[in-house]
Amino acid sequence: MALAEICKISNAPYMRPNAWSSADVEEEQKGLMCNLANPYTLAAPPFENPLHNLNQIQANGDKTGVKINFDHGTTTLGFKFKGGVLLAVDSRATGGSYIGSQSMKKIVEINQFMLGTLAGGAADCVYWDRVLSKECRLHELRNKERISVAAASKIMANIAHEYKGMGLSMGMMLAGYDKRGPGLYYVDSEGSRTPGNLFSVGSGSLYAYGVLDSGYHWDLEDKEAQELGRRAIYHATFRDAYSGGIIRVYHIKEDGWVNISNTDCMELHYMYQEQLKQQAAK
Amino acid sequence: MDLDNARELPRAGFNFDNCKRNATLLNRGFKPPITTKTGTTIVGIIYKDGVILGADTRATEGPIVSDKNCAKIHYLAKNIYCCGAGTAADTEMTTDLISSQLELHRLQTDREVRVVAANTMLKQMLFRYQGHISAALVLGGVDKTGPHIYSIHPHGSSDKLPYATMGSGSLAAMTVFESRWKPDLSEEEGKKLVRDADPTGVFNDLGSGSNIDLCVIRKGSVEYLRNYELANKKGKRQLDYRFKTGTSTVLHTNIKDLLVTERVQAVPMEIS
Amino acid sequence: MSILAYNGGCVVAMRGKDCVAIATDHRFGIQAQTISTDFKKVFHIGPRMFLGLTGLQTDILTVRDRLMFRKNLYETRENREMCPKPFSAMMSSFLYEHRFGPYFIEPVVAGLDPKTMEPFICNMDLIGCPNAPDDFVVAGTCAEQLYGMCETLWKPDLEPDQLFEVIAQSIVNAFDRDAMSGWGATVYIIEKDKITERTLKTRMD
Repeated sequence: MALAEICKISNAPYMRPNAWSSADVEEEQKGLMCNLANPYTLAAPPFENPLHNLNQIQANGDKTGVKINFDHGTTTLGFKFKGGVLLAVDSRATGGSYIGSQSMKKIVEINQFMLGTLAGGAADCVYWDRVLSKECRLHELRNKERISVAAASKIMANIAHEYKGMGLSMGMMLAGYDKRGPGLYYVDSEGSRTPGNLFSVGSGSLYAYGVLDSGYHWDLEDKEAQELGRRAIYHATFRDAYSGGIIRVYHIKEDGWVNISNTDCMELHYMYQEQLKQQAAK
Repeated sequence: MDLDNARELPRAGFNFDNCKRNATLLNRGFKPPITTKTGTTIVGIIYKDGVILGADTRATEGPIVSDKNCAKIHYLAKNIYCCGAGTAADTEMTTDLISSQLELHRLQTDREVRVVAANTMLKQMLFRYQGHISAALVLGGVDKTGPHIYSIHPHGSSDKLPYATMGSGSLAAMTVFESRWKPDLSEEEGKKLVRDADPTGVFNDLGSGSNIDLCVIRKGSVEYLRNYELANKKGKRQLDYRFKTGTSTVLHTNIKDLLVTERVQAVPMEIS
Repeated sequence: MSILAYNGGCVVAMRGKDCVAIATDHRFGIQAQTISTDFKKVFHIGPRMFLGLTGLQTDILTVRDRLMFRKNLYETRENREMCPKPFSAMMSSFLYEHRFGPYFIEPVVAGLDPKTMEPFICNMDLIGCPNAPDDFVVAGTCAEQLYGMCETLWKPDLEPDQLFEVIAQSIVNAFDRDAMSGWGATVYIIEKDKITERTLKTRMD
């Protein structure tokens, strides 16, 4: 098998001759369902040195046309204030310039006191949020105490670090309320983990920051904070081609999260336009 | 007078003004846009009294069918027609250009132009552009020396053949000719042969499709059979959509009346 | 990314019974960023003739100006109005002149013949391969979506009112699935005696 040697795939599992003994079958099954038993064991790409070679394939994608295009593009934001933590997200999923969905749920409800937002690879975020959700529940059962946002975000950051450079694409915020009060962390697939008062993530984040920075202060009333989040996302959906759809606002207080509103962008646009007109008339 | 806008006046030949800019853009990673191609199965045969050309009618833009019924058999002269495959604009413009030159040639020599002249003009033009004009042609016609079929490749080579095929479906169509063509076919047999050869491309090649055009050129007469066979009739739609007036929300309307009333007034000329 | 999709936008034209319709979106963007939402890609270039241009915005404006120059020159020389058909032929040869250094645009022409009032629609690829079918033509970043919408909604001999609904629904629903076009739309219905311009209420995201 000289060709296999040259292609550096002679040791790959699919190149091995199989006798199909019961042990082989068992081995094969284990390989096919490994992440059911243990979510941390993802199949590596079927070639040697995936870390190096996968990046090379992706880097050459423009020339060769062989490229993996995940759903991308998002605007999400979150901030801490007097009344707890507020999260607001859009709901558009795009693959290239094609809009795959206008009604995606980009806020994952991890438990009654913690939420995660997704940006980047939709599948990556959803999968690892589910794993995190499981870990949080286990923590609760083991320690008879809810997990802190700090600890949960650390689990996430550890996962990201484990797979660093293997092609994961995530930019997420973890928000919740624990014994230390409101918590907000930014975690991404590069392995960074930052606590903070105000974040915005995704292709439309710059536009959202613009609105947030002009309206944000710690002593916002609940209603004001909700409107600020909604407005920031709305302006991002207007300017950013890859954000849009429904604007979802979540508010986390001491007694858990509440879904404040899910409003269509179109409705908001014409409402804000009307307000502008009235203001101008005055 | 040296008008500033004189440089805008249409001039003959290609214009290369944008080349440098476009190359820069493409270097920065922007993909070059795709042009309309005629994937195409085009064929031509010689039969007893002349030639028969055949073509499908599909034009594609990448994976999209951009024209379901385009004409790929182009007029060159009264006695010469030419099927084109490749970049649609190239086949169209090249045949148009040569058609004009042939007409001038005819007027100058006061004779019916020969197919070999058309062949030479086409191949010389294509050779000059070194394959950048991607036109693959099947040229057919009848002149005083008899019926002729030429196949011309984009780089300017040509073959004189009794039967020829070109385009992405050429191999499929050629199988039919290789097995069934013989000298001195009757017109009916010839039409049937072309009619059988072309659909092999239409049905087996993704770049070819829709209908079949034929063109029969005899000594002194031509029969252009546009849509000779509708090989892919669209099914009849069972139901249709009808919107109530006012379905689409209109923000504002602006109506421009075009009824122009004209009044002509005679102005007396000044007499000096 | 194709350079044709750099600024986004789309145009569609349809034939009706003794009328034609042409519609455009309003977006002018630079890749993902929306710069303005009042850039109409359709230009009124004759009493009953419209020219739609999609693609790279700088080329849209240049090509429009160059074509207007040639059209005005023709009308001055011939002392008569230019019909849609010769205009398309002129545009085709203009674009083919730039075969080896093309303008990054996809044009659409819609109009009525001034003499016969026969509806005419036509589109081209960027190097001027003309295509004048008897149903509809599309261009722009959501051409695929537009093909789908038009193929299902269009039927022969639509009256102006119905044609408006069909073209409006086609363009709105097509660009609602495309990130690079949208942000408002305008529909022009060209009839023998009048031109109706309607601005549509659309999603603004």
